[in-house]
Amino acid sequence: MDFICNFPFFSILISLFSGTICSVLPAKAAKAVNRLVIAAVGLMSAVLLLYLLSTGESFIYWMGHFPAPWGNEIRAGVLEAGMALFFCVIMYLSMAGGAHKLPGEVVESKHSLYYILVNLLLSSLLALVYTNDMFTAYVFVEINTISACGLIMIRQVGRTIEAAVRYMIMSLLGSGLLLFGLCIMYDLTGHLLMSNIKESVALIMANGEYQIPLIVAVALMCIGLCIKSALFPFHSWLPDAYGYSTVSSAAILSSLVSKGYIFLLIKIIYRVIGFDIFNSTRIIDVLFVFGLMGMIFGSLSAIKENDIRRMIAFSSVAQIGYIYMGFGMGTQAGMVASIFHILSHAATKSLLFIAAIGLTDVSGGSRKFIDLTGAAYRNKWAGVAFTAGSLSMVGIPLFSGFISKLLFAQAAVQVEGKMLASLIVLGISTVLNAVYFMKTVIRIYTSEQDAPYRSITFRDRKGYTVVLVCSVLLNVILGVSSQPVVDMIGQGLAMFA
Amino acid sequence: MIVSVILIPFITGILVPVIPFRKRWQKEVFLETAVVLNSILVWYLLLHHSDSTFLLAHFTGNLNISFRVDGMSMVFAGLVSALWPFATLYAFEYMTKEENENVFFLFYTLTYGVTLGIALAANLLTMYFFYELLTLVTVPLVMHTLTREAVLASRKYLYYSLGGAAFAFLGLIMVIVYGSTTDFILGGVLDPAKTAGKNNVLLLIYVMAFLGFGVKAAVCPFNSWLPQAGVAPTPVTALLHAVAVVKSGAFAIIRLTYYSFGTDFLQGTWAQDVVMAVVMFTIVYGCSRAVKETHLKRRLAYSTISNLSYILFGAVIMTPLGLVGALTHLVFHAIMKISSFFCAGAVMHQTDRHYVHELNGLGYKMPRVFGIFTISALALMGVPGLAGFISKWNLAGAAVESGNPLAWGGIACLLVSALLTAVYMLTIVVRAFFPGKDFDYSTVSDIRDPNWKMLLPLFVFTVCIVLFGVYSQPIVDFFMSVAAGAV
Amino acid sequence: MYLILSSIFFPILAGLFLLIRYRTPLPGEKRAIDRKALTTLTGIFLLITAALVAAALLHAKESFTLFYLTKTLPIYFRIDSVGRLFSMLAVIVLPCAGFFSFEYMKHEERESRYYGFYLLAFGVLNALCSAGNLITFYLFFELLTMTSMPLVLHSCSREAVMAGLKYLFYSLCGAYAALFGIYFLYQNCDSLAFTADGALRASSIAEHGGFLLVTAFVMLLGFGVKAGMFPMHAWLPTAHPVAPAPASAVLSAVIVKAGVLAIIRVLGMFGRDFLRGTWVQSVWISLTLVTVFMGSLLAYREPVLKKRLAYSTVSQLSYILFGLAVMQETAFTGALCHVLAHGFIKSSLFLCAGAIIYKTGKTRVEELRGIGKEMPLTMWCFTIASLGLIGIPPTGGFVSKWYLALGSLKSGMPVFDVLGPVILLVSALLTAGYLLPPVIHGFFPGADYDYGRLQKKEPCRLMTVPIFILTTASVFIGLFPDCVSGIIAAAFTGR
Repeated sequence: MDFICNFPFFSILISLFSGTICSVLPAKAAKAVNRLVIAAVGLMSAVLLLYLLSTGESFIYWMGHFPAPWGNEIRAGVLEAGMALFFCVIMYLSMAGGAHKLPGEVVESKHSLYYILVNLLLSSLLALVYTNDMFTAYVFVEINTISACGLIMIRQVGRTIEAAVRYMIMSLLGSGLLLFGLCIMYDLTGHLLMSNIKESVALIMANGEYQIPLIVAVALMCIGLCIKSALFPFHSWLPDAYGYSTVSSAAILSSLVSKGYIFLLIKIIYRVIGFDIFNSTRIIDVLFVFGLMGMIFGSLSAIKENDIRRMIAFSSVAQIGYIYMGFGMGTQAGMVASIFHILSHAATKSLLFIAAIGLTDVSGGSRKFIDLTGAAYRNKWAGVAFTAGSLSMVGIPLFSGFISKLLFAQAAVQVEGKMLASLIVLGISTVLNAVYFMKTVIRIYTSEQDAPYRSITFRDRKGYTVVLVCSVLLNVILGVSSQPVVDMIGQGLAMFA
Repeated sequence: MIVSVILIPFITGILVPVIPFRKRWQKEVFLETAVVLNSILVWYLLLHHSDSTFLLAHFTGNLNISFRVDGMSMVFAGLVSALWPFATLYAFEYMTKEENENVFFLFYTLTYGVTLGIALAANLLTMYFFYELLTLVTVPLVMHTLTREAVLASRKYLYYSLGGAAFAFLGLIMVIVYGSTTDFILGGVLDPAKTAGKNNVLLLIYVMAFLGFGVKAAVCPFNSWLPQAGVAPTPVTALLHAVAVVKSGAFAIIRLTYYSFGTDFLQGTWAQDVVMAVVMFTIVYGCSRAVKETHLKRRLAYSTISNLSYILFGAVIMTPLGLVGALTHLVFHAIMKISSFFCAGAVMHQTDRHYVHELNGLGYKMPRVFGIFTISALALMGVPGLAGFISKWNLAGAAVESGNPLAWGGIACLLVSALLTAVYMLTIVVRAFFPGKDFDYSTVSDIRDPNWKMLLPLFVFTVCIVLFGVYSQPIVDFFMSVAAGAV
Repeated sequence: MYLILSSIFFPILAGLFLLIRYRTPLPGEKRAIDRKALTTLTGIFLLITAALVAAALLHAKESFTLFYLTKTLPIYFRIDSVGRLFSMLAVIVLPCAGFFSFEYMKHEERESRYYGFYLLAFGVLNALCSAGNLITFYLFFELLTMTSMPLVLHSCSREAVMAGLKYLFYSLCGAYAALFGIYFLYQNCDSLAFTADGALRASSIAEHGGFLLVTAFVMLLGFGVKAGMFPMHAWLPTAHPVAPAPASAVLSAVIVKAGVLAIIRVLGMFGRDFLRGTWVQSVWISLTLVTVFMGSLLAYREPVLKKRLAYSTVSQLSYILFGLAVMQETAFTGALCHVLAHGFIKSSLFLCAGAIIYKTGKTRVEELRGIGKEMPLTMWCFTIASLGLIGIPPTGGFVSKWYLALGSLKSGMPVFDVLGPVILLVSALLTAGYLLPPVIHGFFPGADYDYGRLQKKEPCRLMTVPIFILTTASVFIGLFPDCVSGIIAAAFTGR
């Protein structure tokens, strides 16, 4: 076994421990450690990804060299490594982009706490990505929830406490359901390791016994993760949580945390239940319908908003709908589209959140549209970045959003019964996206001569601007040369089976 | 080469705000030179085109951005590049009264490149890409004055266009999935082996895509952005909202119908009936709204709506002759409408009058402008001997020849619309030249014709209108060969 | 070829020259118009044009294509008998009315515009008469509308402008309806060149004969607008009263006849055999009869003289259309005779009315008591013309109505063969009823009339001579119908 195979384990561990270290460090050092860790993990994931691409097959890593069922297993394939790398990149950008706001948002004494939470979050995300064990997954889901909750709550304004409580309740409900599902699954199969469960499930399906409990278990797990990833009817916690927390938190929460759960769900679908078995249940239809509804209603709610942050948050609801629609199609192509959209949405959404903060900064901190009039002239870079993000969301060619739309539509055409519905909703949802994003873009480019606010130039905020540029570039790269990424996703999915 | 004609406007446009021009005339000379050079280049390219495809970039799979010159692109690119230098010349004079010139000329010139991109696109994806881009680069032009009205108009324009593109996108997907290629091939690229049994779905998507592209071509009920966008400076309304932008919509529909889905697949289906009915309704609707409208530019905008649907009517007849009719009107309407719009702009520029009822007696003080306006009005009505008659004749001829009863009804729509055209155009002419007995001439005493920069384009267009009216043979022959796929 | 072309383009160029050279100065502009030069020049132009047309009528036999609009659309000229007949009418009426207007237009402004468009309309009319195919005809038909509209709205009062627009839009509406038919004819004929016995391909008739009937009907209705056929007649009574009297004369005598000419052409294109006995013929005859009767009735009730004459035109034109609709040779002869007779009579009547207005300013019929004593020559002409219109021998009206009735009875149509002549007779009675009262009151104002107030108001020769010529012409037609019978017979066969 190559040394590189240790990287997944290392990266989880580093981020866990760095969290602990951060608690005793002063704020500045904690920040440095945090950045360093993210960068290191990212680097390791990149190397791992290259390694996996070169070997062309995934590997399983035994924790402490005990085979299952005693030991714990980590599994790494192209998709896992790619996802980890991507999460690190986005997280780094989000942290860097929101750094200048942190002092204003969080009291000085809690800065190191903030970084602890971020590190914990990273470790739990990585664990969700890499683990091959259902129970480990559950544990890290909980860790994830707690740290996310902390991230929301750390900015101590009235709304955030409420948002955090809401988030907590909904999340716990979600993980509770996940746990139920897990228990039933354990009862049925007697295993906790994913690969073992899958064998048993296949056996059960072949024998034709205990099918209903199995379906119930799957359904419970699905619903649990849906709640946690804010699929349409379960999204009520989302706008407040994303809308009022600190910038970095919002960016991370919207682009990564929910995606972590979704990735877990993908893993469950492929590695635990089996793609074909999952598709033969009616669950995908339900997911499909919820996905479609999410696309429409999320956008409608976004249109009604007059607060830019909440608008972006609602837009997430719609985008998550896209992802679930891809699941609901029940085809490989749909899955590829969904995974690509996870990437593209993560890249775009963090960009939007960070750009939005640049715009609100030059509008007296107000997030109301009326105050944002002409903001793009006062902060040119943020304006351009926000426009780019919006165009990507609307699906203009050259940006990543277009490719995911293209993939979704292509996938939809291959599914006889769901084609029209998905195509039409895709169209409508694009129109709605155009409405609220373009409304904002025009608003920020409508010049306001007598605005009392100060302008911000490149010199004022170098770091911030660089982050913006990087995010835009990331978006464009995903949009222009998507073929390797799509290939990689396909390869990763093949390794899942 | 083919990319350079798209890039030159981009570079020129970006240079305008960057280069610190000392005097205004330097900027004018710079812009005009660049535009004229580019137009010459385009014409050179069109006349010496080879059949090869130029591949610029790869998207995913077999999707790529590539360019090629074929018959359709020759028509559209030729038209656009012929009109642009004149419009630019006109814009110099017109923009003396407006602010933020640099931004204006930046986007104005960018639009040139993007429109050429649409014309020269070799496949549906490339066209779609430039189509979206066109929306984006023209929004700042609509928003130019930054009044509340302009912002609302541009918002509407943006929603409509992007929304339309979203549905046009579905058509793109269908062609990607069910077609053998996304390249434009006359007769369509749908693969019969793949489409078997899915006809109705494909037709439904065709209708959606038609309406989607139709948004730019202002098909009813998606037309209300166009009159509102009239708040933009007149060179924009004239060139973009009478030629480049709206014609791109029509162009895209022709591409979709004849070069992607294929007329064999569509002809005689319910989808054809639906789109034809929509188009026919728009023809009459646009005209009747124009009659009701009292704002001069908005009236012309409604007229554009109606006339665009003439083009689409030709397109949805789905026969080679229909395509000939559509192409004829595509070109001729461009000339006629740009001429009448420039007249309207000249009036607004010289007198600051915007409403039809304020035009009384101006014919005596601006005889050249209103003379030209009269000719364009007669041409739009379809008086024989002027360009409009030829295009109408080709359209109606195609409709009769197709043997489709609905298309015969379409002829009636054309004629009703011609009558309404007479109503809304000639009332202006009559007002201008016959202001009534008790008209007080002192109210127009200090008004005169504009200077040569505005008049030159007008004269050229008028000469074209008459020339094409009496001698259209070569150009119609050319359209014939385009429709037959011989170019 | 050059004769025909010059008869068309000379007046057009002359008109344009007048429009530009003598354009009316705006307030503040220091430029006066030499009225004498203007009228002299116009007179010379009119005479030259008339001479050219006459020469063309006598000599031009060949046909030629001027140029091609598109490969299959030639602008093609050919003078045949029908065109010749209409040319004859135009060449007499237009110069007469033109000279009349030199005096009449003294009290109007912007004369040059009037003369300019007058000449333009003359040229276009010539072109219309010598057009050899439907497209050429349509081209000049539209241009005729455009060039005659300024004549109608000349006075530029609000009503005049409105009336001009009404005229314009009605005419265009008709023209477009006709264009609808032209599109279909184009597809179903081998060429659009005029013929008298049907140009439709046999295969087309077999395939969509039913639709072609609809097309024919639409075309008839469309061109019927110009000829004031019910239900699209309303522009006539609006346009005539506001137009200057000589313009009304030309409008009523010649320009509306363009509609008749058009219908003759259309009939020829479809072929009488194709239409005879179909629903198109029945509906069309009914419409003409309704128009004949209704026009007379409305004229009878109308107090304003010029408007009364306008309604009379509506009625009389439908006599002609009735004759055409019967589709029988005798009736056709009657119709074409009536074209000439009505042309001369009605122009004479309008010029008389104009003379009265010019001299006395009286427009209403009841104001005309004793006018015969004041303007005897004018009123005598009016009387003779009126008798002609009523159809009393030996005037032109009698001959034409005789042929019309005869043709109708000979035709063997069900119902209409008798009904037609009956309605024509009733209408003739009504005609007497609306035309004779001004004559009677004019000459016999009654015992209580104050003869002392009478003054000599006879207008100058520029006015009386044209009226006299036209009246004479109308009588001449009645006395010597043979001189046109040859041409009419040729017209029926399309030579």
